[in-house]
Amino acid sequence: MTQATDGNKERRTFLGVLLGGFSALLVAAFGWPVYRFLAPQQVGEGVSVRVDKKDIPIGAAHFFSFRGSPAVLLQPKAGEYIALSAVCTHLGCIVKWEADRGEFFCPCHAGRFAMDGTVLGGPPPKPLESLSVVLEGDQVLVG
Amino acid sequence: MRKRLLDFLDVRLGIRDILEQNLTKYLLPRNVNIWYTLGAVLLTLFSLQFVTGILLLVYYVPNPDEAFKSIETIMNDVPYGWLIRYLHAVGSNVIVIVLLLHMLSVLFMGSYKKPREFTWVSGFILFNLALALCLTGYLLPWSQLSFWATTVATEAAGAVPVIGDGLVRFLRGGAMVGNATLGRFFALHVMVLPAGLAALIGFHLFCVRRIGISKPPFGEEYVPTEVKDKFVHEEHPGGIPFFPNYAIKDLAVISFFLGLLVVLVFFAPGLFIPPAAFEPADPFTTPAHIKPEWYFLWAYQTLKIFPSEFLGLASQGAVMALLALLPFLDRGRERRPARRPLFVTCYLLGILLFAAISIWGHYS
Amino acid sequence: MMTLMVRNIGALIVVFLLTGSGFSAALAAESVCLQCHAGLEGRLAAPVAAWDSSIHAQNGISCPDCHGGDPTDFAMAMDPERGFVGVPEHGEIPEFCGRCHVGVKEDYFDSGHGRALHSGGPQCVTCHGNHAVQTASLALINREDCSRCHEYGRAEEIKAAMLDTDRLLAGIQSDLDGLAKTGIRVREMEGETFALRNDFHRLFHTVDVERVREQTAAFQQRGGEIRTEIEAVQEELTTRKLLGAGAAGLLFLVSVICFLIRKTYRDEE
Repeated sequence: MTQATDGNKERRTFLGVLLGGFSALLVAAFGWPVYRFLAPQQVGEGVSVRVDKKDIPIGAAHFFSFRGSPAVLLQPKAGEYIALSAVCTHLGCIVKWEADRGEFFCPCHAGRFAMDGTVLGGPPPKPLESLSVVLEGDQVLVG
Repeated sequence: MRKRLLDFLDVRLGIRDILEQNLTKYLLPRNVNIWYTLGAVLLTLFSLQFVTGILLLVYYVPNPDEAFKSIETIMNDVPYGWLIRYLHAVGSNVIVIVLLLHMLSVLFMGSYKKPREFTWVSGFILFNLALALCLTGYLLPWSQLSFWATTVATEAAGAVPVIGDGLVRFLRGGAMVGNATLGRFFALHVMVLPAGLAALIGFHLFCVRRIGISKPPFGEEYVPTEVKDKFVHEEHPGGIPFFPNYAIKDLAVISFFLGLLVVLVFFAPGLFIPPAAFEPADPFTTPAHIKPEWYFLWAYQTLKIFPSEFLGLASQGAVMALLALLPFLDRGRERRPARRPLFVTCYLLGILLFAAISIWGHYS
Repeated sequence: MMTLMVRNIGALIVVFLLTGSGFSAALAAESVCLQCHAGLEGRLAAPVAAWDSSIHAQNGISCPDCHGGDPTDFAMAMDPERGFVGVPEHGEIPEFCGRCHVGVKEDYFDSGHGRALHSGGPQCVTCHGNHAVQTASLALINREDCSRCHEYGRAEEIKAAMLDTDRLLAGIQSDLDGLAKTGIRVREMEGETFALRNDFHRLFHTVDVERVREQTAAFQQRGGEIRTEIEAVQEELTTRKLLGAGAAGLLFLVSVICFLIRKTYRDEE
């Protein structure tokens, strides 16, 4: 094998840079679709959920799916509705409704929340997320 | 930075030695030609199938009630799902094309001869595994095409004497193509066959590396090497280094075939994916003009030509066995095509016959 | 369709010797009507071939769907007790077809054609034929057929008024067919188009030029909406092709660069 000539070396460097550039472009061009393919799709983003009032008796809790995660509707007093995310703010377990005490209880680490979502005890760092409620005829519109 | 990383790895793995042995000091024959790049092309294409296959697996549901719908979702709702699916489906066809080219070039240059019998035989099995992957993958979308192509293909096994009917039932997991068939084809397609393929590719590459690259049988200075009865690694002193000299050529041809694949995916996916692939399977309606994929047309047509199914199947078996065992039958040392007129004649006639029967099968 | 299937499957049987597979089971479920009539002669066999080429056959509407009876029992197939209805009389035909084509029947009875039914006016079969019935199209309105009964003039006017919308709908249908062949989900748009076309064809049966003209705009608008939707999909497909061309071009460029680099090494070897 003969030694590399200067001309060849220069050409090789130039072509090498081009090759690197275009390859990076190609990786991006094929990486982007793969990322988009795998990226989570927005489930019902911005979609409101309708619940029939008859499903929410006074003092009981109605659990339903809201934009891909569990939520709960309460009717503490006749005609007054509260909607909360049912996901405990501690580690993401789903809270349970304890009708006799009128509290939410998280079975994972005994976190307790009041009807309006405020923390009563246990490890949860903040209240349950509150969701907006609009009354529409015999339905409750959440979100 | 690069030096420190290399030092780090070198102390622990002796990486410099490995790189030298396999890249810069791995010398190839000076007259190595472009056909030698096809192995690298296949390796790339198989990797692409592997990646796109796993991506499809994320959304695909292997259940007759859901399969077609999940494919429809991939094609219409998942961002770039159509791209991933087409790369996978069209890619499989490109793989068959390159596999054929790879085998034809090896045949033409007589590289399968002693002492490279294992390389040939493992390659031939790889070819069959790839076809099996095509066949099993074909069923998964649960379209009319899937359903009837699989019905016809599994039915062919019925021509085997005595155990034929049992064999068909076993392949299908029942009397008809159905739920059970999808289950077993799915398991084969995503686990069994890919695992077998990967292992065998490993063995194939090991053989290539262990015995050394064969010298292309061209040019005036070529003389057939004497094959001894003990192991000799074929060296090519004064040859060109694999890296960077030859690897860049590999890369050139790989990019070319990827470019070809992209062209097919974007501009002519219909060549390989007929409209029947977009209709859900209907076990009670056979679509008109159902044909197997182009690479199975020869087999389909031979079954029709022979007076009995069994003869057709037997002749296919004979051709495949002949090809598989070729290095053990063709034992002459001569590899130069110009000095193997009989072989080259058979070779060309074989290609013509394959093409003619396939075209006949397409139009019949 | 039956004979078509028989032919297809027959070929497959010859080819692949389908011993005892479920094909035959699927076939046996088909009607005895076709099996028997196909073997008869002349007038009694004619409906089989005629039906075979019809839009009814394409959509899986078979003998018993119109004529009733029992398609699974040779002996009782044509027993009135099993609901068999033979050939309807001239005046009964609109009711006969109208059992399924409800909307058209309504418009037909409302029209000059329908009102003249019992005084020798035309009924469904007069224009559409019977067993070989095809997809309704404007080709059915032509000088030769219409002037069997009356002057072509008014019919021609109606045809002219319907032509644009008919073309629009036919164009939409063929575009949708094209998209479906490339795996685009068009079921919804196809459903809308189908309904729209049916309503539109109903309109013809009023044989009332003024009403056709009045309502054309509404059809044009609904068709236009589907067309816009199709165009959005087609635009997306064009964008894909551009991106694909870019990606392929880039790959070929990389290939060429690699060959050029290879050449610099080649020079030194």
